[in-house]
Amino acid sequence: MITNHNVLIIGGGLTGLRAAIQLFDSSLDVAIISKVHPLRSHSVAAQGGMNASLGNVPGEDGSVDNWKNHAFDTVKGSDYLADQDAVEKMCREAPKTVIELEHMGTVWSRLKNGKIAQRPFGGAGFPRTCYAADRTGHNALNTLFEQVNKRNIQIYSEFFVTSLIIDQGSCVGCTALDYLQGEVHGLSAKAVLMATGGFGRLFNKSTNALINTGDGQALALRAGVPLKDMEFVQFHPTTLYGTNILITEGARGEGGILLNQDGERFMKKYAPNSLDLAPRDVVARSIEEEVAQGQGFEGDYVHLDLRPLGAERINERLPGIKQISIDFSGVDPINESIPVQPGQHYSMGGIDVDIDGKTRISGLYAAGECSCVSVHGANRLGGNSLLETVVFGRLVADQIINNVNNIESPPKKLAQANIRKSEDHIKALIDREGGENQFEIKEKLNNTMSTKFGIFREKDTMLEGLNEIKKLQEKFSQVSIKNKDLKVNKALIRLLELEGMLLLAEVVALGAIKRKESRGSHTRTDYPERDDTKFLKHTLVTWEDENMQVSYLPVKLGMFEPKERVY
Amino acid sequence: MKLKVYRYQDGMESPRYDSFELESRPGLTVLGALFQFQEQFDDSLSFNYSCRGAVCGTCGMLINKVPRLACRTQLKPLLRGELKVSLFSYPGIMETIPWDPAKEVLVEPLPHLPVIKDLIVDMDKFFEYYRFVEPVFRTSDLNPEKERLMNPEDVKQLEEYTNCILCAVCFGGCPVVGQNPKYLGPAALAKLYRFHLDPRETTDTSRLEIADIKNGWWACDSYGNCRKVCPKGVPPINAIENAANELKSKKK
Ligand SMILES: Cc1cc2nc3c(=O)[nH]c(=O)nc-3n(C[C@H](O)[C@H](O)[C@H](O)COP(=O)(O)OP(=O)(O)OC[C@H]3O[C@@H](n4cnc5c(N)ncnc54)[C@H](O)[C@@H]3O)c2cc1C
Ligand code: SF4
Ligand code: FES
Repeated sequence: MITNHNVLIIGGGLTGLRAAIQLFDSSLDVAIISKVHPLRSHSVAAQGGMNASLGNVPGEDGSVDNWKNHAFDTVKGSDYLADQDAVEKMCREAPKTVIELEHMGTVWSRLKNGKIAQRPFGGAGFPRTCYAADRTGHNALNTLFEQVNKRNIQIYSEFFVTSLIIDQGSCVGCTALDYLQGEVHGLSAKAVLMATGGFGRLFNKSTNALINTGDGQALALRAGVPLKDMEFVQFHPTTLYGTNILITEGARGEGGILLNQDGERFMKKYAPNSLDLAPRDVVARSIEEEVAQGQGFEGDYVHLDLRPLGAERINERLPGIKQISIDFSGVDPINESIPVQPGQHYSMGGIDVDIDGKTRISGLYAAGECSCVSVHGANRLGGNSLLETVVFGRLVADQIINNVNNIESPPKKLAQANIRKSEDHIKALIDREGGENQFEIKEKLNNTMSTKFGIFREKDTMLEGLNEIKKLQEKFSQVSIKNKDLKVNKALIRLLELEGMLLLAEVVALGAIKRKESRGSHTRTDYPERDDTKFLKHTLVTWEDENMQVSYLPVKLGMFEPKERVY
Repeated sequence: MKLKVYRYQDGMESPRYDSFELESRPGLTVLGALFQFQEQFDDSLSFNYSCRGAVCGTCGMLINKVPRLACRTQLKPLLRGELKVSLFSYPGIMETIPWDPAKEVLVEPLPHLPVIKDLIVDMDKFFEYYRFVEPVFRTSDLNPEKERLMNPEDVKQLEEYTNCILCAVCFGGCPVVGQNPKYLGPAALAKLYRFHLDPRETTDTSRLEIADIKNGWWACDSYGNCRKVCPKGVPPINAIENAANELKSKKK
């Protein structure tokens, strides 16, 4: 089947939904495609909050926050790799964005005076993070879904996008497998917005939803769009030991402290000023150091102690965290410390876009976690990515609105040809009898990524890792699945996800190997210093004729000169 | 420990049950067990998942005859009998095949929704009722400059209901839904009540009137299963009782 719309949005998380509302309200025929029901998107899991310099809570010295402070913290947090024009745009738009959500219905937590409450977050000079208890993503996503639902915007739910349709250098739609029906559809449009989220599931310990497999980045890469800064992967310091479910930074923002085996508050050694609220990369490395020195607990974790907060504050501000730790590790944080360890959390890199969300292919746009505009540079500050999704979801939609009317609708035969290609590919995967097992490949890939491209990196192990990735790519060409149905075939979906992940792994590996410095989340034991003369630039990886090409792009500096980053 | 799982797909005359010996791991959840089955035994087993942390509402199933989230249900305490919930009985949870609750975990699709395949159910009806209650703010200001103020106490009250993750576990647990497929069900009614409660919206009963119909507030028989099975502590039955009382006192 072929359908036609003005604009297609791939992804029904916060980015996709916000963009859809904007496009619909400009009288465009917009449709959302999502591999899960939009409410099941990963955005629903965001806990801690969204940054905006509302200035509702004064800083330590009584001063009032403003967007410039927010921009400075963001740029410093990024280890100066963020593009400062994009950061400025995001931080200026932030207060408006939070207020807009409030008017759409989000139930933000409130101060006694009735204003939106704000809590301190790592790397921020002010209490700037607006929150809805520790269920911010859930609340914001429901609000936006309610708005989308009211507008009756068409949603292709449980459609897995399999390729982008490119015609003479322009993107004119995509193909998608309606996996409940087992049919490949062609969707034509004048513009396509990618809002497909992150690729955390490349790693074995990750806070991400199981569906965060980076499909969108792989789709773009195959279509000829470069991926940017993919080596910058954020490891969150506090994930629950065992399941690696996130324990929000808000837990430390509210006063929780990290303790080693001896009950020592070890962050004193590593970040004497910011302590437990130093940025994520700093805290994650500190925990790894403690564990490496034998100061962790058996199983490689440390303790996060919330008891200083007292029962009332835990119940009021961190009810979700309390529930998670009871449900998934049998620990009630009111009485005991929570066992935590670092885990993959966020993908700073992504589809290369300019400040307007445009990729190098006309008609193809990207926003949110799947993109790299870049507001996070080498390290994202907590609370900035929810902000990014809603701000850029709206702004990039505005760009599309400006451009789309001059474009003619693409001819149907293109979609038809692409449907056939996608069907052939799927059929080949299903029919293959190679004897390799996809789940074993996936497990190996996850282990390779976590051990060779984890928090600490070094040339020789990374080269080994790259080698392993190549071997796994080869094995993939021999994979067979047992389920041969087209209809409701989850093994097939997992296989399509894995196919993309194997490509992305190589991109991450190449970027990391070639970046001979330590910056933000990318820590090389063989190059421990940041090197601004050689590496104050973005990595770009393209895939041409089945080969990866690495190039670089200058960083857009501005108001803030690169300085050493101390906390 | 064993997993006993419901299998059905189009073309089968009746469902069958597959048994699978599980490799025990600390913290193993029902969702983890289903992955073991899919990865080691039969990759055609179909079930939905996303967050694996009890926040996305995707993995509602009938586990040992109680509607629950698969990702939040750990096997060990389940087998030890620690996760018992005593529900008002209804056909959806009656015995289908014999099983030994001390050794086996029985996993079946959520009752009251059509089965698509294995553990995947069609949620269309559930979302149709969600849409029926018009769950959206009626604000007119599209370019607001200022936040509206809210009392933190009001926020606390509202959170009881905004916490709903639309997992349909209560829908599968409600005896009335089983008898009367037109009943809007606990989740949709709780959602409607959330909008009624919000002081930024209506202050009268106009919202409540949306469900002032036979298959709305008045269809509830106060069994209370909804509150017992809800994984997020949402009490739909309280919403329904409060709403009915408000409407009654207004009509007086
Ligand atoms: C546990 C956790 C907590 C977090 N907490 C915070 C926080 O407190 N503050 C903060 O700022 N950030 C937080 N983040 C980060 C933030 O949640 C994410 O960056 C953000 O939600 C991403 O939104 P998105 O719209 O870009 O993508 P997502 O919400 O991930 O949505 C992606 C969408 O793309 C669709 N999709 C993907 N692939 C395909 C395909 N092949 N075909 C069709 N559809 C597809 C999916 O179905 C989904 O609808 C957190 C992240 C995690 C992991
Ligand atoms: S009320 Fe509870 S059980 Fe019912 S849909 Fe909402 S979260 Fe699920
Ligand atoms: S997988 Fe999200 S609620 Fe279970």
